[in-house]
Amino acid sequence: MRSFPPGASKAPVKFRMPTAENLVPIRLDIDIDGQRFKDAFTWNPSDPDSEVSNFAKRTVKDLKLPPAFVTQISQSIQTQLAEFHSFEGQDMHIKEKIVPLKIDLRVNNTVIRDQFLWDVSNLESDPEEFARTFCQDMDIGDPEVGPAIAVSIREQLYEIATQSVSSAREARVGKKGRRGSDIVANSKAGNTVDLGKLFGSKGSVIRKRKEWYLYEPIVDILSNEEVGALDAREELNARLKRKLDEKEDSFQTRYSHG
Amino acid sequence: MTSAPPPAAQAPVLSPTNPPPPQQLPLSSPVSAVKSEVPVAESRDPPASVSSLPPEPSPVPAAASYTITIPSCSAWFSWDQIHDTERRILPEFFDGKSASKNPGVYKYYRDYIIKRFRGNPSRKITFTDARRGLVGDVGSIRRVFDFLEEWGLINYTPLVKPSAKEKRETDEGSEKKEIPRRICTNCKSPCGMTCFRTDKADIMLCAKCYVRGDYRPGLSSTDFKRVDVTEEIKTDWTDKETLHLLEAVLQYGEDWKKVAAHVGTRSEIDCVSRFIKLPFGEQFLGHEEASENDKPHHKNDEVITTPGEENDPEQDCPKRMRLTPLADASNPIMAQVAFLSAVVDSDVAQAAAQAAISALHKVDIGGGIQTSAVGAKDEGSSAADSQVYSESLNEAITEAESQLEKEEKDVDQYLSDIVQIQMKEIQDEIVHFEELELLLEKDRLQLQYMKDLLFADQLSILQHKPRQVSKDGEKVKPTNLVS
Repeated sequence: MRSFPPGASKAPVKFRMPTAENLVPIRLDIDIDGQRFKDAFTWNPSDPDSEVSNFAKRTVKDLKLPPAFVTQISQSIQTQLAEFHSFEGQDMHIKEKIVPLKIDLRVNNTVIRDQFLWDVSNLESDPEEFARTFCQDMDIGDPEVGPAIAVSIREQLYEIATQSVSSAREARVGKKGRRGSDIVANSKAGNTVDLGKLFGSKGSVIRKRKEWYLYEPIVDILSNEEVGALDAREELNARLKRKLDEKEDSFQTRYSHG
Repeated sequence: MTSAPPPAAQAPVLSPTNPPPPQQLPLSSPVSAVKSEVPVAESRDPPASVSSLPPEPSPVPAAASYTITIPSCSAWFSWDQIHDTERRILPEFFDGKSASKNPGVYKYYRDYIIKRFRGNPSRKITFTDARRGLVGDVGSIRRVFDFLEEWGLINYTPLVKPSAKEKRETDEGSEKKEIPRRICTNCKSPCGMTCFRTDKADIMLCAKCYVRGDYRPGLSSTDFKRVDVTEEIKTDWTDKETLHLLEAVLQYGEDWKKVAAHVGTRSEIDCVSRFIKLPFGEQFLGHEEASENDKPHHKNDEVITTPGEENDPEQDCPKRMRLTPLADASNPIMAQVAFLSAVVDSDVAQAAAQAAISALHKVDIGGGIQTSAVGAKDEGSSAADSQVYSESLNEAITEAESQLEKEEKDVDQYLSDIVQIQMKEIQDEIVHFEELELLLEKDRLQLQYMKDLLFADQLSILQHKPRQVSKDGEKVKPTNLVS
């Protein structure tokens, strides 16, 4: 097998998540009056908009949050869905075929770190199936880990998909100039795995032993104190970040007026 | 209530039910309503019919001290199978349009949600709990969750009955407001005959409060629905009364006047509604009617006690489901027979069926004469006697023949089931033996290996011996050992 020439790709596909089910990862991080609500889940963009408000109401009711959250949650979901929809209808070139994905998250008491290769051009891939199998194989007791993994994978795939949309746009623009090939080369240098090396005469599909440790999933269970410490640190970071953002905003307004 | 006009394809449990005989029309259709009207009506209806007719809880033994109950309309549920109801109401998982939405995924969602609820049945599981623990898109999870909740497979707490078996169920069941109670939220007095409900605010008013207009400013009189409580009131039927009722039904068949007279303390309507609510009333199985000869008499007492037992409906469910294609709800005797056959072993059922068939042959002519005699009296004309006689005789014969066929089919079905089970047993044994073989083979190999080692040791010893001997005497060549 020859090495693949850079820029070789399939015909452009209409934007969609490169998975069997065209589902969008949604992340919520809302703070009202000091009460913080964080959540992440997968949403089906073909569900009607009424679903969003129903879901928000139901979540607020189930978790006994103050009703002010309902509008915030709805808005946040709508925004993210709108962003997704804005990409729809555009073309994307799926150039990067196999990319390494990383999982690095903490759900309640469980810490998961893993990296693996994912075929982005496989439009039938199923992150949910992966997450389910992962939890089963690694004997993870906490049921909330599965959805978190699935969402994380989807987010990364979403990012790759959106990048490939912008690269498609740039490629069209840059066809006239040399810029196009540069951009293509750059984006390729990023994260792809060079298939030529892997499947070429010198390569082998079997991973080298010394690389095994890189790709082994790590699942850790933390004690409650550690969890508490990590939570506190995260809170602190989030608060600092918010303060910085506010400062930035105030600078902008000051300088835009002045 | 309409005479049950179920399109056959939709009834998950019943074959097309014959419209009940006229005098039972208003009252016995709730029976079929519990099972067939539920899917026949728009699929949104299940909650309405579930709550307006108190479904008979079929107790499911669960964790040590809890009794999980599910409404009888959901009796089809079983862990190992996916029922037609589920396929119908959640087609997205079964139409093969997407590879990742398949029956396995549906089962995973459903089992997880139900297990999670049953792990802590005193607490209602919320949708957020469920979706947080499930991998998948929240839209589909929500639909599965709603479906399960509608059909009472989760978050279902039945009304509290004063009888002993219900006392074990959660006390919170009586506090739940979704199930209509007889206390008016306004005046805190029992509602009596009718009450008025509104979905907007989960309020129930008695007739007086409703008329007075004593409700919150946000509501108007149009928001209230009238709910007749009389149908929901649980009459405290004692065992004795139930026994009388069943005896009377056996004796007088569908003549509810006489049945009520026999029971004594209950009106006709009460008798009928009670009879319907008895568990066997919902086991719609077509079975030989000749069991009126042998079964009911010695099983009668059992019938009273078995509804009170903690049957394992999960065992019954597959059995019921197997036998339900032959359902015939119209005849209460048949219904009773059906229930008995479900409770009893397949061998006994088979024997009874065969006895029934032979008895039917005898009864055939006799029955024909009887029905014809009755027909003749009704006609009231002597000239048409013989014609009516032969006509009704023929009718009786054809009916008997068809039931005979049914019976034979039943028997065939039993036989094939038995054979299937045997086959499965044999297959399991084969697998087991294969495993044993494998183990034995391994052992044998190991033994062989040990033997070889031993042989090698022996060899070396024997080789050393001659050398030692040679130290004393002449050198002896090591002998060639033949293995």
